[in-house]
Amino acid sequence: MDTKFSDYFSVKLMWSRIPHLIKKIPITLELAGLAFLVSIVVGLLIAVIRYKKVKILSPIATAFLSLMRGTPMLIQLYVAYYGIPAILRIFNSWGADIDVNLIPKMVYAFFALGLYQAAFTSETFRAALESVDKGEIEAATAMGMTYGQILRRIIVPEALENALPGICNSVIGLVKGTSLASTCGIIEITYQNQILAGRDYRYLEGYVALAIIYWVITIVLEKIFKLIEKRFRIPEQPKAVVETQNA
Amino acid sequence: MAILTLKDIHKSFRDNVVLNGIDLSVNKGDIIGIVGPSGTGKSTLLRSINLLEKPEQGEITFEDINLPLPLQAKNRKKVTELRKRIGMVFQRFYLFEHKTALQNVMEGLITVQKKSKKEAEKLALEALENVGLKAWRNHYPKHLSGGQQQRVAIARTLAMKPDIILLDEPTSALDPELVTEVLTTIKGIAEQGYTMLLVSHEMDFVNKISSRVIFLDGGRIIEDGTPAEVFRHPKTDRAREFFDKMNKLKEPEFFI
Repeated sequence: MDTKFSDYFSVKLMWSRIPHLIKKIPITLELAGLAFLVSIVVGLLIAVIRYKKVKILSPIATAFLSLMRGTPMLIQLYVAYYGIPAILRIFNSWGADIDVNLIPKMVYAFFALGLYQAAFTSETFRAALESVDKGEIEAATAMGMTYGQILRRIIVPEALENALPGICNSVIGLVKGTSLASTCGIIEITYQNQILAGRDYRYLEGYVALAIIYWVITIVLEKIFKLIEKRFRIPEQPKAVVETQNA
Repeated sequence: MAILTLKDIHKSFRDNVVLNGIDLSVNKGDIIGIVGPSGTGKSTLLRSINLLEKPEQGEITFEDINLPLPLQAKNRKKVTELRKRIGMVFQRFYLFEHKTALQNVMEGLITVQKKSKKEAEKLALEALENVGLKAWRNHYPKHLSGGQQQRVAIARTLAMKPDIILLDEPTSALDPELVTEVLTTIKGIAEQGYTMLLVSHEMDFVNKISSRVIFLDGGRIIEDGTPAEVFRHPKTDRAREFFDKMNKLKEPEFFI
């Protein structure tokens, strides 16, 4: 019997799958981008609440964090997917008038993804905030700066440098996490692949093509973050001493 | 004329009484050396003046600002106002790590004193020149030696033209070879007529630059006078013992 490699895996077919998948990249990126915004805002909020040990809110934030980190993202997506409409129906039974079907599936997905990632991002932020030398905060306080000014001028700029690698991880995690959104019926690249593979049963080629696409997106994001990190980093070598007559 | 008056200041950390009734009045132009054994509240006293520590009893009066203690929430603005006019230099410098020497000195001028960037830069350069580090203005703290960092910290305080400068063991965190440059800088500033309170274990230096020396023990001022009075003719045994011990350290045979 004469079998060829291409019977099992057709490189040509794999390449031909890529342009079809690329068409759905905007959906993937949109999902990741919106979820990123949610994760940054909620994550920073949780981080500051826990950093400042705000009464009442701090234990709530900690419990939320524990729940989000302790359950799989897929389960959370399902809970959001079935749970949010259920809650809205309860509201409706109380007399509200919300058409559950009008809420785009995207909303469930980026909320679930965003909140999940917020839990991890908040820890990145908190560690970064705590890495700022308490002495610098004290020096700024002694100068007569208000806490708001210190947060804005000293703590956050310094924490940001330390948080960047973690934020990069979080963005990459989100991009890959969007593949789970296919379970909510959102046609992003993973779902697109399933649709296409369902026609000719060439799953392997499709998934390899998909892996390549995710990988490339991730590499591009890493490069972008490297550039941003470089901008924020204090140079290793000092600049030259500025020679002046009276210095 | 007293510009700063402390009345009956008490401060404890848990059960540990650190300041036990401090009365002190500081005149304009005074250079007050604060000496005494470790753990007797020297740093706490200094840090109570600008309310980095919050004493639970007493009263602080600085020029037109009056703060009864314990501090009340309504006086928070007054505390900020007081801090704007009293500068502080710390043992471990505490420069802003992500800012250059120049930016460190400019920070307070811009954020606190609301000066324009251009004016802040001009004043900051003057201050850096005053401590002999104008040429290092674009260096980040991590590129500077400990002594240079402390001089930048001094410039950062000087640039704000404070009415009083508090120096909390400014040379204790430095390698011995770097101490001199910082002491020289402080001496230069003392000669410019600034009012200063200096906590230090450099007795010779305190003796040389101070107009008045106070000796703290057990959270109280037990000696108060000119350097000659306190160092040469201490009234209390406690102070005499302490100075004897310090002098012994300097004798060569101690190290053999």
